[in-house]
Amino acid sequence: MWMHNPLVATLFWSTVTIGSYLAARAIGRRWRFWWTSPLLLTPIGVGAVALSLHAGYGEYIAGTRWLLLMMGPATVAFAIPIYEQRALIRRYWPVLLVGVAVGSTLAMGTALALAHLLGLSDSIGLSLMPRSTSTPFAMAVSSDIGGVPDLTAVFVILTGICGAALGEVVLKVMPLRSSLARGALFGMGAHGAGVARAHQIGGEEGSIAGLVMVLAGLFNVMIAPLVAALV
Amino acid sequence: MTQNRSALNHLLRTARLALHRSMLVQLGVLAGFWMAGEGVVRLVNLPVPGGIVGMVVVLALLASGWLRPASVRRGASWLLAEMLLFFVPAVMAVLDHKELIGLDGLKIAAVILLGTVTVMGGTALAVDLCWRWTQRLSREARHVDA
Repeated sequence: MWMHNPLVATLFWSTVTIGSYLAARAIGRRWRFWWTSPLLLTPIGVGAVALSLHAGYGEYIAGTRWLLLMMGPATVAFAIPIYEQRALIRRYWPVLLVGVAVGSTLAMGTALALAHLLGLSDSIGLSLMPRSTSTPFAMAVSSDIGGVPDLTAVFVILTGICGAALGEVVLKVMPLRSSLARGALFGMGAHGAGVARAHQIGGEEGSIAGLVMVLAGLFNVMIAPLVAALV
Repeated sequence: MTQNRSALNHLLRTARLALHRSMLVQLGVLAGFWMAGEGVVRLVNLPVPGGIVGMVVVLALLASGWLRPASVRRGASWLLAEMLLFFVPAVMAVLDHKELIGLDGLKIAAVILLGTVTVMGGTALAVDLCWRWTQRLSREARHVDA
């Protein structure tokens, strides 16, 4: 009843979300494991509240849409680190472009092949294809190629959690000499979450990851019509 | 007249200082670029998110010197540091997809896990090989010069 007031609902769900996030962030800083990522713990906290109140996604998102919209200004904010690494980027952009093309092809190819192999439905397979790009791009590509954008948003986040955790394992195994390759690994494999992780490794890595993430998004949006014609 | 102008100058200087110091104002500026980007996307029907258009515009302004990095750096750092929070509402879509909990969920997790490792390994390998190749090329070029 009290939830039917949009103002109350916004205040309530925003408080739950931000509160869970702050708690998860504190836990993540205290204990550093892949499963203490705020990207995993926050949804678990919010989900527990939503389930106990029998609230659906519609109710929840009506109260927190403004947080989702903050992703817009956050995307604009990437201009600063990219600008600050312009010398590196001017010198190596062809190399980064090769990485983005290889990475995007692998992301789409593995999604399609593995989903088929495991007998997942076509709509899930298609929704999995753009999962390596950041949410706004991925949702746009998903609807272009016949996936379910809602599902893609969930897969994108799972990829982010997975990639931010696995990135360091892959780094240890591979003898990478350049900050270029280390940054590209995170930006291509785990979009925003990977960029955040790459920034912890180094400023150069972080900026490269940010740039690769943006390039990967643009690349995927551009090849989406081609992919839609093929699958 | 001159008094008016000096008052105006003073006001402009105060505004500029406030812009440099206040994170909230900087967030407002970044949000403004995002909204302008959304407007352009809707107007011209671009297949790109509005935030990206805003980012390209800010990059162009920074490169041309119209905007100084210091004017937006604090706001940008905050947004980038707390970005994970803005992802959370999107993940909660899982509330309406309970079919993902179970066997299909495990299969999807397997696809994401294997796929992400492949993407990371492949991308890093491609970039590193290209980088070594360009390093060798530039070394050889220097050799020829000498």
